[in-house]
Amino acid sequence: MTKLLDVSDITVKVDDKILLSDTSFQLQQGDYLCVLGPNGAGKSTLLKTLMGIIKPTAGTIFLNQQSLSQLSQKHLAQQLSYVPQAHGRQLHFTVADFIKMGRYAYHTAFSDWLAEDQHAMDQAISITDTEPFLHRQMNTLSGGEVQRVMIAAALCQQTPLLLLDEPTSFLDPHHQVEVHQLIRQLNEQHNITIIEVSHDLNHAGQHSKHILALKQGKTLWYGDSSDLLQASHLHDLYGQQFVFTNHPQTGAVVALPSESP
Amino acid sequence: MKPVTTLILITLVTFVILIISPYFGLSTTTDPDIQHYILAQIRIPRVLIAFIAGSGLALCGMVFQAMFNNPLATPFTLGVASGASLGATLYVYLGLSLSFLGVDGSTVAAFSGALIAISFVYSISHFRKGFSSETLLLTGVAISFFFSSLILFTQYLSNVTDSFRILRWLMGGLSIVGYHDVIQLLPFVSLCAAIILWLTRELNLLMAGDDIALSRGVAVQQVRYLLFFVTSLCVGAIVALCGPIGFVGMMVPHICRLLIGSDHRWLAPATLLFGGGFLVLCDVIARLIIAPTEIPVGVITTLLGGPFFLWLLIKYKAQST
Repeated sequence: MTKLLDVSDITVKVDDKILLSDTSFQLQQGDYLCVLGPNGAGKSTLLKTLMGIIKPTAGTIFLNQQSLSQLSQKHLAQQLSYVPQAHGRQLHFTVADFIKMGRYAYHTAFSDWLAEDQHAMDQAISITDTEPFLHRQMNTLSGGEVQRVMIAAALCQQTPLLLLDEPTSFLDPHHQVEVHQLIRQLNEQHNITIIEVSHDLNHAGQHSKHILALKQGKTLWYGDSSDLLQASHLHDLYGQQFVFTNHPQTGAVVALPSESP
Repeated sequence: MKPVTTLILITLVTFVILIISPYFGLSTTTDPDIQHYILAQIRIPRVLIAFIAGSGLALCGMVFQAMFNNPLATPFTLGVASGASLGATLYVYLGLSLSFLGVDGSTVAAFSGALIAISFVYSISHFRKGFSSETLLLTGVAISFFFSSLILFTQYLSNVTDSFRILRWLMGGLSIVGYHDVIQLLPFVSLCAAIILWLTRELNLLMAGDDIALSRGVAVQQVRYLLFFVTSLCVGAIVALCGPIGFVGMMVPHICRLLIGSDHRWLAPATLLFGGGFLVLCDVIARLIIAPTEIPVGVITTLLGGPFFLWLLIKYKAQST
């Protein structure tokens, strides 16, 4: 099986400050990678580098065997889409218009809206179940609804790879579960490769396939997500003791920050 | 109302304004030849200049509002027009009379001033990430003050004639004779309008935020540079000819947004037409309000714009908190 994404030894320096050093990982189609780490670990830098916002000072990134630095922004957008953090920005679009804008990379100023564009849009709407509020203004939606629309717009881009930047922070528990279910569905049923930046250890440990743990710009460890929930790993990562128990319903291991004595 | 219906209505109203406005004004003569001369050589070119300048200023305002994602950001509030004014003032002070490839030297001077101001605002807002809209506007105010004091300084050093010329021009006026100025201004504003109309999808995405625009495939940096360049050119050309006519770029796009929505594919043509019609109307008022004396049109737009700015500021504050 060929690699979808091959990141090797990338280093990002801004004004002599090393934000990310010697980071490497590979993803295959259908993978689900969670990027964890304390604040300032370089998670956002990694996402920005993958999106082409920041150029790595050293190292290479290959996406579908093409070097990222060779891709135009439009070609990159046909390979990789992005869901931002929910942060209550005012968006003055209807939901339908916003999702439609996901097709930007396939058009020029004068090209027509084709059947395949409509198909991509319909599919994105049906997967995310955004039909009920399609004609509402974005700024009238709840946080959970906005995130579903954000995911729909990213799906409309029809990319093999989807980046999510803490997609559930600032959402209430019900909407967190809902958005996480949707992400898993995209990965499992639609074979979309996911890279998710998260602070939710238990979600990452249970649902993702691989974990990249970053600390101060360095890769602390990279491996199967089943290895994440261990006291030593978590202590190294966050400098915090954790205790473990089993989920009463599913029996899965759950980590909880321990109370200081 | 559907956007297309609104746009047709705006087009019709603009057309009516354009056709009837040359006939408004003081007439002290009954001689048909003189009346014809006044209409053809003074009134019609004046209406055309007002329309072109109004369209250009309104479109540039719209672009700034989208790019800075802030309804209060316009070439005027961010000090770009002051930069252009300083360029043109220095040109008058130095007594230069140059032209580059048929373009008037004062246009080039104003364009340079605008470009310097815009680079200033942009590098400051870029240098400090997470720039709040308040800080952005305050930067603009500071830049405006700085350039204004340089203009005053230049004026102080000038002789009486130049000083008066600068003063009248700074008030923003459209008193022109013949078609030379129309032909000077039209290419700049047309080019600028064409590029803005071509980039309406990019403007929509920029309004959603740089990260979203980038991930959808917009080459954000290049689009920004291109837009900064053409808006500087457009504002520079208008300011060199008509002086800094304030607030058109803030009021018109905002009113159009209320009428037709935020989708730039509709908003841009609406703003172009409405901006033109609006300045033509303001100029009619400026000609008639204390006839036979004309007041500079910039005084009218600023009288309307000041309260509008305050209203927007209060409304915008209430929304964001």
